[in-house]
Amino acid sequence: MLLGQTIICGLLLGGMYALIAIGMTLIMGVMKIINLAHGALVMVGMYVTYVCSKNYGIDPYIGMFIAMPVLFLLGCLIQKYMINRLVEVDSILPENQVLLTVGIMLVLTEAARLMFKSDYRSVTTSYSSDTVFLGAMSISVPLLIGFFIAMVFTLLLHLFLTKTDIGKSIRATSQDRDAAVYMGINSSKITMITFGIGAALAAAGGSLLLPLFYLFPDVGHLFTAKSFIITILGGMGSTMGAAVGGLILGLSESLGATYINMGYKDVVGLVIFILVLLFLPGGFRSLVKR
Amino acid sequence: MNMLNKKFLLTIAFIILAVLIPVVIKAPYQLHILILIIIWAIIGTSWNLLGGYAGQVSFGHAAFFGLGAYSAGLLTLHCALSPWWGILLGPLVAALAALPIGMICFRLRGPYFALAMLALGEIFRLVFLNLTDFTNGAKGILIMPAITNKMFYYYTGLGMLALTLLATYLIVNSKIGYYLVSIREDQDAATSLGIPTTLYKNLALLPSAFFTGLAGAFYMNYVAFIDPNIVFNLTNVSVMVILVVMLGGVATTWGPTIGAAIYIFLGEYFRTTLGSANVLIFGILVCLIIMFLPNGIAGELDLLKRLTQRKKASLSGGV
Amino acid sequence: MKKFRWQIIAVLLVVALVGLLAGGCGGGSSSGGKDTVKVGIILPLTGSEAMFGEMEKNSFELAYEELKAAGKTTVGGKEIKLMYEDDQGKQDVAKSATEKLVNQDKVNMLSGGYSSACTNVIAGSAQTLNTPFLVVTGSSDDITKKGWQYVFRGSAAPASKYTISFWDMLEKVVKPQSVAIIYENTDFGTSGAKGFREECNKRGIKIAFDQAYEHGAIDFKPMLANMRSTNPDMIFATSYVMDASMIVKQMKELDFNTKLFVGNGAGYTMPEFYENAGAATDYVASTALWVPNVTWPGAADYFNKYKQKYGKEPDYHGAQAYATMYIIADALGRAKDMTNTGIQQALKQTDMMTIMGPIKFEDWDGYTNQDRPNTYVVQWQKGKLEVIWPEDVKSASYVYPAPKWSER
Repeated sequence: MLLGQTIICGLLLGGMYALIAIGMTLIMGVMKIINLAHGALVMVGMYVTYVCSKNYGIDPYIGMFIAMPVLFLLGCLIQKYMINRLVEVDSILPENQVLLTVGIMLVLTEAARLMFKSDYRSVTTSYSSDTVFLGAMSISVPLLIGFFIAMVFTLLLHLFLTKTDIGKSIRATSQDRDAAVYMGINSSKITMITFGIGAALAAAGGSLLLPLFYLFPDVGHLFTAKSFIITILGGMGSTMGAAVGGLILGLSESLGATYINMGYKDVVGLVIFILVLLFLPGGFRSLVKR
Repeated sequence: MNMLNKKFLLTIAFIILAVLIPVVIKAPYQLHILILIIIWAIIGTSWNLLGGYAGQVSFGHAAFFGLGAYSAGLLTLHCALSPWWGILLGPLVAALAALPIGMICFRLRGPYFALAMLALGEIFRLVFLNLTDFTNGAKGILIMPAITNKMFYYYTGLGMLALTLLATYLIVNSKIGYYLVSIREDQDAATSLGIPTTLYKNLALLPSAFFTGLAGAFYMNYVAFIDPNIVFNLTNVSVMVILVVMLGGVATTWGPTIGAAIYIFLGEYFRTTLGSANVLIFGILVCLIIMFLPNGIAGELDLLKRLTQRKKASLSGGV
Repeated sequence: MKKFRWQIIAVLLVVALVGLLAGGCGGGSSSGGKDTVKVGIILPLTGSEAMFGEMEKNSFELAYEELKAAGKTTVGGKEIKLMYEDDQGKQDVAKSATEKLVNQDKVNMLSGGYSSACTNVIAGSAQTLNTPFLVVTGSSDDITKKGWQYVFRGSAAPASKYTISFWDMLEKVVKPQSVAIIYENTDFGTSGAKGFREECNKRGIKIAFDQAYEHGAIDFKPMLANMRSTNPDMIFATSYVMDASMIVKQMKELDFNTKLFVGNGAGYTMPEFYENAGAATDYVASTALWVPNVTWPGAADYFNKYKQKYGKEPDYHGAQAYATMYIIADALGRAKDMTNTGIQQALKQTDMMTIMGPIKFEDWDGYTNQDRPNTYVVQWQKGKLEVIWPEDVKSASYVYPAPKWSER
């Protein structure tokens, strides 16, 4: 029973992690940069949903559909006017793009702090602490809803990437930017859209967490590191890989918390991360390909 | 020859200036700011050797910094020795830890290497946080510094910075340095030319970890309090050191020192004058500098010099 | 070419800025320092702890205005001037702030200190600089255990001493056989857990479960489910505010019943705890240093005034700052002269009543200049925080054992 409870908790939470990480894996796949502002984008998305809920009484699950377009736009703007500028500039290390994302993270976090202060905020809905019981195992309803919405989004994104023209262009750019450009793909437009979609997915993940978690300007840091781990576990740029990676991270943290020690749960995730980096550098995606 | 002479003279002038500063500025607060700059300059210079010259961008230098600091702290805690012994032990421990870390992480390249280092840094933080009996955990280590004279810290730190700069300069201008740059520019080409790339990357990592550990041990002595969340911090140490180097100039001798000066000065100036918006303004400035000076201040100055010289040359050619 | 010009401008801008800074940092000596007594206050006004820093700053201001109206802010013909510095919740910044206040602004004494890490550093620097420092919140045991005569702690208790009256209640009412301890991985958390663990061992109480967790976790259920399987008589938890509400909410979701859940102050007594966790907070007890309905004179008054002025309910952090301002004014009023030793002497002789109870700086139990804290046990009852122990100051009777979730 303890094992069952642990597994359920891990999987459900892993689904939410996955949604946030898919945004990052898209960005990393296409642009080959580490986006340290990803958690900050999650945070901004959460604040948008929070404001909708507090000021206009919009349920977080509906507010999500306001937060996503807002973040899509923000993502496009950041990519077009800030990060894209650096792609063309000659510099010794490509990592200055990463540093720029650090700057963006600082700016977003501090702007949120100026607007909302450092207060902890939360949205309490009528269903926030509803639970269903499966035998003796309790399952939180908002976590379950969040999990299913996250999985639906993952599937939709997968379809989008495999069936639509823009989606195919994104994948082509991700695999080989130069070749894609020769094929007539407007790569700067594609990177812009990718960053937008990544930001929108981050917002969706944040909004789904809002009914059961809480919100403060630094909340993003919690998600940035997890998103990296998942991205690498799944293989850069792979949607399905990130989904699997998210579930595995959630599960391993949960098992670690139960059977080792709650204080070491993040170490478990990080050790798996390093092992995957060393022995399975393409992530889980490469397993499927073999 | 003339160029070299000029550079030499500039360096001498800089050293004299640095030595004389405390004679002019006696105020402890200003000296404190200078000491912080020195600490960051040491970390930045060490990071630059690995990240700037060899192109192996590490997001986990907090691991070495923390190990250096904890070597000093734990000596006091467990052996009741002066934390100054940590100045000897800290760098060694950090370099020793760098051996297996290098063995693991240098199998990876580019962003994968960066992320593996990031994960290792975090693992160190979490382990030091949870090994409460050995490290005091989150309670940290608080000591009473035996020496309170700021001058002493300033000159000790300055000596360490000089040592770090000298070591980096010698490495970079030796054969190793050229190999390192070749690895950064094209690792496959370097390998095909017969350069044992992993060996040379390790040769960059070891001194880099060594001097970062030195800075850590010095930090413990100066600030007199550490806990794992401070010295193994991802954002405030690992990422900030990259920021410091990039602000100043990647793969330049003086870049990290310039970057450290800007980082500390700006941070402190904004903090004391701008009120609650200080970090926001700092973030905006970071974005602007990276966008408009992608090679850092020292790097762009080099570029500027080259460009102006070319213009002069073409002018004189015209006449 | 256009881009190149941009770069020149940017370089010039930066160079100009740096020059400006060198000048600014060097020549910023303060003017008109002769007829004021300066008190430097270091609080986290930005960064993730800014919420508490703001509350404490507001409370300092509130107390200062009241004192001013009573004519107590002028001591010996000099006006007390508060100088705030932001430590951003980072300890090297706290050190910079201390250096600046003492060496640059020449303050007569220091106060403030929210997080343990920052307070540790400020205390160490203050002692080396021979400047009196009165701690507001920092609760690390070490701070007043080093024998530093310039460091005083009045309104805050050492983290391991929050439980004094709680142990009294445990011995008289609960008499537990086994306990579970969970705590956040911070200085406050580990010190609190360590103190409680030692007391348990002394009394032969079995510790069935003992784990730390990293602050900011989303899912505590694995840990809680694991803890339930050890079946402890009571749970002792030290948590930050939002972790506290996550933990009790998830206990409710798990239908995890325990006879007594006790928080160790911090998160478990704050208004945000109830706002976030709602009905799950019912019957949760906590150790506390201060609650609005405590019987000390002025406590309720402060609570109402703060709420009216700033539109938010203060918690014990605000009360600590408010009381500290009164202690400072009292000590400065009595000081022979405004030198460091004069103020140090005056602080040492403090014996006064504040909204945190009587304050007196004594040397006891290895502590130096540490007030003997007044601790309480409080319990959430229908969304209200009631004092349940010690019995002579209680505002409601305790409910023990707590009813099962299904029977509420």
